[in-house]
Amino acid sequence: MKQIMIHPERCVGCMQCMAACAAAHSRSGHLFAATLESPLPKPRIHVGSGLWEEGFPNRCRHCDPAPCLFACLPGAIFRDEKTNTVRVDPDRCINCASCAMACPFGVIRYHAVPFRGGKKVVAVKCDNCIERQGRGEIPACVEVCKSGALTFEESGEAMKRKTDAVSRSVSAGAEGTELPEGFSLLRAIKKARLQLQERR
Amino acid sequence: MEYVIIGNGIAGVSAAESIRPIDREGRITMIGDETFPPYCRPMISMVLEGAVGSDRLPIRGADFYERLDIRPLLGARVSEIDVDGKTVITEKGEAVSFDRLLIASGADPRPIKAEGLDLKNIFFMRTEAHVRGMERALPDVRRALVLGGGLVGFKAAYGLMCRGIEVTLLIRSGHPLSMQADAAAGKMILEKLTGRGLDVRTGLAVTAFSGKGRVRQAHLTDGSELPCDLAVIGKGVLPSRSFIPRDHIDLDLGVLVDDYLETNVSGIFAAGDVAETTDIARRSRWVNAIWPEAEAQGRIAGMNMAGQKIRYGGSLSRNVIRIFDTDILTAGIVTPESDAVYTAIQSKDPLYGTYRKMVFREDRLVGAVLVNRIEQGGVLTALIRSQMPITIEKERLLDPLFNVKMLMKQ
Ligand SMILES: Cc1cc2nc3c(=O)[nH]c(=O)nc-3n(C[C@H](O)[C@H](O)[C@H](O)COP(=O)(O)OP(=O)(O)OC[C@H]3O[C@@H](n4cnc5c(N)ncnc54)[C@H](O)[C@@H]3O)c2cc1C
Repeated sequence: MKQIMIHPERCVGCMQCMAACAAAHSRSGHLFAATLESPLPKPRIHVGSGLWEEGFPNRCRHCDPAPCLFACLPGAIFRDEKTNTVRVDPDRCINCASCAMACPFGVIRYHAVPFRGGKKVVAVKCDNCIERQGRGEIPACVEVCKSGALTFEESGEAMKRKTDAVSRSVSAGAEGTELPEGFSLLRAIKKARLQLQERR
Repeated sequence: MEYVIIGNGIAGVSAAESIRPIDREGRITMIGDETFPPYCRPMISMVLEGAVGSDRLPIRGADFYERLDIRPLLGARVSEIDVDGKTVITEKGEAVSFDRLLIASGADPRPIKAEGLDLKNIFFMRTEAHVRGMERALPDVRRALVLGGGLVGFKAAYGLMCRGIEVTLLIRSGHPLSMQADAAAGKMILEKLTGRGLDVRTGLAVTAFSGKGRVRQAHLTDGSELPCDLAVIGKGVLPSRSFIPRDHIDLDLGVLVDDYLETNVSGIFAAGDVAETTDIARRSRWVNAIWPEAEAQGRIAGMNMAGQKIRYGGSLSRNVIRIFDTDILTAGIVTPESDAVYTAIQSKDPLYGTYRKMVFREDRLVGAVLVNRIEQGGVLTALIRSQMPITIEKERLLDPLFNVKMLMKQ
């Protein structure tokens, strides 16, 4: 089964995934129309920054076992076994934020969604774009990511790619890792800028 | 194998659900006082509030017992455990023998001493039946009195206010939720509530209730009288353990269990609000009577009863409280007693209405308070749980933009 993979070392912090995610979960499904909707669609992937302002795309890992699922008071969080997706039933959710205390990644938010008139505030998180996948599309965040920080692939394949890259990097005469230089350059610049600020 | 579970709250239900997949043959008997299907106890306050109907309370289908092939003995109260004879006895005299026993009897509201407690419209708030009783009384209620500013007293007051009833809350300490929140967050909660019309009185208790058949007045320790036509007693809970033989099973405030949730008697386990476990932040025995711990303890106890050896990592007090437009999330030690052992840092942003506080023991996080912007609470809770040394600047944890990436090796 294909899954969304995150490669944070490639994230440049452009936040296009956030806009695409919000649009994909809007009533209209289109970015420009989505900006006029009420409730205003919000992203379920959150680009934060690390200690050195490096981009960090953060989204639900669909953990198994999932701490949020165990902690959910009304039993609104469940696992969709077919797609291995941890989902929230907005009808059952009571917005108690018990899951906020349980999620070790801090990826759950609370706001209204286009559900029953869009008034009810509920727990909201990544749903692996199940609806899009049903239409044969890939998750919106992956589709829009230009730097390869988000990919949609078999987890075995992704692992192999990483292992290969590591072994290439340690063998004699290797060309280095598959990560283009631009990424480490961007990182170095951001870090240097922060260090300079601190010194001042 | 004969499994007996006392209590059909979340601890008992989770235990049954984890026994069954491991042992398909064994016989599971659940003895429960309440006849309502397994339900979400915290949600009863939302029923009082009028936010949901009691039809939304059940967390498992009506076929729960059948589906897991459980023999339910509902509406029955265990009155005795015969440890040597491996039998539990109900109030009606029924005897059920066990090879493995789980005590998951939860907690009972702490009673108070006052005259006139037999009057109508004086309630505890622990079960769906209590709230059903309150709902029936509501149409004739104009003024209510709530005793106790703990989680339940506070939720009762909030629920009644949402129903448009004038509420007076009597609390012992200076602010509500003194067990859950530190003084600063407690004060913010108090301001929110009084701002919405709650009448809060501190340092007072009730000596008597009076009225003709149903409550009309409360008489307070300072000699004053308060008119009220409904009263809720929310002075905390006590582990429900009256039927447990203390000469056989070790008790403190709750039933003492080891890292596998087993009591000192082999084959007898305890989980949930009745159990006293090791508190991760306090590093001492503690009764953490909260839903997620009851669920985890029940689940792990069930697996161990069915022959596995799963270690329970200890419990952690934590809570999220949402009132009107304010969220308060607390975990671990929020009001450290000694400055020698703990250091606390905090920040406040009046513009966003946020307040954050982190409590450390050396380089480990042991407590957190977040008022608003609570999304990263789970990351902080995980840090307290894991007791991972904090190697980044501690102030980073106060930043609303703090995220899990900051903890990762670069
Ligand atoms: C109003 C309210 C709000 C709450 N809000 C929250 C919240 O927001 N977050 C949170 O984490 N927790 C909350 N809690 C606490 C939470 O509900 C409890 O921690 C949890 O329900 C404990 O589960 P349990 O299975 O251990 O015990 P219980 O749910 O108490 O279940 C025990 C069952 O055993 C039965 N029983 C007891 N003695 C016997 C006997 N001798 N024989 C047979 N049966 C017996 C009882 O009748 C009961 O049905 C709240 C509680 C209340 C009352």
